[in-house]
Amino acid sequence: MQNGSHFPDFTPRLSRAWRMAKRARRLLISCGLLAPLALAAQTPPHLPPGGLIQLQVQQPAVDITSPVTATASFDPPVAGVGQKIFYRVSVDATESSVDWPDPPPVPAGLKFGPKTSGQLTQMQGNRFRPLAAFVYEVQPATTGHFSVPGFPVMVSGTAVDVPAASLDVTTTDSGLPPPRQLRLDLSKTNVYLGEPFRLRVILPPGPNRQIEAVREIELNGDGLMTDKTALQQAIEPVNLDGELKPAFVAEMIVTPIAAGPQRVWAQGFTAGTEFTAPFVIRGQASLAAGPPKYVLLVSDPVEIRVRPLPVAGELPGFTGAIGKFFADPPRLSANRVQVGEPVRLTLTFHGEGELTRFVPPLAPRSRDWQIIADPPPATSFTLVPLADDSHETPAIPFSYFDPETGKYVDLTIPPLPITIVGEGLPATVATADDEGAAQPPLKLSAPAPRPGKIAGSLKPLQLRPWFIGLQLAPVVGFVALWLWDRRRRYLEAHPENVRRARARRALRRERKELQKAAAAGDTAAFVRHAARALTIAVAPHFPADPQALVGGDVLAQVTGAATPNHLATIRAVFQAADGQFATHPPLAPDLPALRPGVETLLQQLEEKL
Amino acid sequence: MNSFCLRLKFRHWLGAGLAIATVLAGLISGRAAANDAFARGLEFSRAGEFPEAAAAFRESANAQPAAGTLVNLGLAEWQCGHAGPAILAWEQARWIDPYEQRAAANLNFARQVAQVDAPSLKWYEAVSTWLPPNAWVWLAGLALWLAVGLLVLPGIFRRPRAGWHRLLAALAFGIFLFSLTANSGVVSRTQIGFVVKKNAALRLTPTREGEVITAVAAGEPARRLRTRGNYVFVRTLGGAGWLERDEFGLICPR
Repeated sequence: MQNGSHFPDFTPRLSRAWRMAKRARRLLISCGLLAPLALAAQTPPHLPPGGLIQLQVQQPAVDITSPVTATASFDPPVAGVGQKIFYRVSVDATESSVDWPDPPPVPAGLKFGPKTSGQLTQMQGNRFRPLAAFVYEVQPATTGHFSVPGFPVMVSGTAVDVPAASLDVTTTDSGLPPPRQLRLDLSKTNVYLGEPFRLRVILPPGPNRQIEAVREIELNGDGLMTDKTALQQAIEPVNLDGELKPAFVAEMIVTPIAAGPQRVWAQGFTAGTEFTAPFVIRGQASLAAGPPKYVLLVSDPVEIRVRPLPVAGELPGFTGAIGKFFADPPRLSANRVQVGEPVRLTLTFHGEGELTRFVPPLAPRSRDWQIIADPPPATSFTLVPLADDSHETPAIPFSYFDPETGKYVDLTIPPLPITIVGEGLPATVATADDEGAAQPPLKLSAPAPRPGKIAGSLKPLQLRPWFIGLQLAPVVGFVALWLWDRRRRYLEAHPENVRRARARRALRRERKELQKAAAAGDTAAFVRHAARALTIAVAPHFPADPQALVGGDVLAQVTGAATPNHLATIRAVFQAADGQFATHPPLAPDLPALRPGVETLLQQLEEKL
Repeated sequence: MNSFCLRLKFRHWLGAGLAIATVLAGLISGRAAANDAFARGLEFSRAGEFPEAAAAFRESANAQPAAGTLVNLGLAEWQCGHAGPAILAWEQARWIDPYEQRAAANLNFARQVAQVDAPSLKWYEAVSTWLPPNAWVWLAGLALWLAVGLLVLPGIFRRPRAGWHRLLAALAFGIFLFSLTANSGVVSRTQIGFVVKKNAALRLTPTREGEVITAVAAGEPARRLRTRGNYVFVRTLGGAGWLERDEFGLICPR
């Protein structure tokens, strides 16, 4: 995993005392590193049973015999009304052995806040000695001289007197510096449940801008989990009240584990130059000289708003990762393996969020794969194919929560193609007959050189709807034939229908020719087509062939139903038609006068058909 | 007017020709892809890369099912150690071409090696294996309409019904009735399938937590009775139970 955050590195400028301490430490480290080389060629000494105990480094004893003492003081001893003050008591004993009266005897006019306590182990001579401290934040409400009287506390069953401490409260500022306090700097105060964030505990420089280390740093407050393994200490310039000053900074990762508003404050002991862990110095700094003075300091509380993660929209594979993460394409150590042969799937995640608490994807369950997740913080998997049916690795579900968008983001590891080779089956088998005599072995055939007989689909035609529909085509054909035969038999039984139908068709043709002749002004053609149309129209009524009829036949057929004008028209038409064959043809009739009568007559005759 | 009609007819013919050409081009391209995959599969087989060969033959069979392709698919699967898919592929080859000798010999061999049985066929199912499935349905259709035509058409066309008309109609109708049973066998055989996974669990209920009745060997025949969710209820020679869908392959996948 890689973390996107890093710090610029400055060349440290150390005070003389610090340089000497550093050289001494380098010398010790060099000796420690070279010692094994120097001893490598020596024969290991033969140690008697239990002799190893003599090689262990002897640790200083813990001083529990010296009389226990206690100190008490106000910090500062002179303050103004409403100014923040600390009442601090120190006892040379472990915190658990002190039966502390809470609250202590408080004079009227002073308001004591909640108690903060802590302990550390200090080195006195060649012995360890515990030190417990109890701190109250005090706010004077009125002016005056206040005194907390001495009072006894029980330490391991023995009464120890806590001395009296006095405080002068004035109306104006006393001019003394404010009490030393730790400061808290949070990267964010509005977080989601389980979202890690960075928290810095800052100790501003003391008098003469001297920097002190802080030991036994603790965060107070419910609902927060501190990751001390990620503690980073540095001395670096910090903006304090608008001024850039070098200060001791301890940075750690904090994870909220309870939703709702959370109050957090820090405590720790000033420790002079006792740096208990590697640290970085950036910029100029001057370290406090002399033996350390252990003072329990506290910070002002800071409120954090912790929101629960939304339940809606949670994606599979969510392991609690909160931030913004990216995954490189996964890599397989091999793309062709045997069944049972492990293959390594390497995953690389990058993130803008806090990766120290990153929980990699969990190994999913798969029927065809045994999936073993490498122990965190590694994010790789060992995959063992159990069968050769798979052609790809299993997808590994993973998702994270993006606090910026407030949504879950899918980061599932996609399947990767892989070829899994199984154990082959025999291609030849020896056979024998009933009497045990060897027979030609059974074996598989050779591959087919060509695809051979093809099929559109393995699904048979019997199950295809279109083929059922196709079977209706012959049915339709047979029905059509039956209807045609039925019609034919009907027409044979009723020939007048055939004649009328033919007469209608012929009459339509003649009427078209008649209209053409009328449009062309061809009187001879007009009367010829009119006469033929009239004979066609009356022919089915006789029945007779139209060519066998004359004007008298037409007159005989329409007499009784026709008007005198129609009769005159018929006579005129046939007279003109017959006149064409005379030696001296009569005068042509007046076509515009004849045309309406002919058309009306033909219309009536057609309706009779 | 005449030129307009000619242009109209030309457009109709052009449209019909383009449609036919499109269909033919699709068929030809599909067959070309199938042939390419078949050739690749053969090359992989000769090189001994059987998983890749099986994939190529499967691609070819999906594009264009063919008896020879399925025979080779079965051989590649067998060489990969997949007895179930191999037997299924050879059965499918026999489904397309009942006279495919390689598939028949390989099935005989595989069943001896894997110690699995052939599917138990009813008499009409056995009859249906004499011809390809589609041949039976064409035969039934032709025989039926031939019989109907021989009985109906002489009357319509006013021809006397000859003796051979009746004889041929009776013969066609008999063939139709016989092919009905074979068609029934074909439809019934579409429910036959084979277990494709090794030691597939035959469960009492269609759930993952269902009690396992027995483990079924790969290549074991079974008859599908019904489907529910991701499970199929099958009857094997040893009993009935539920198999997961991907553990069971039908000869004729729907």
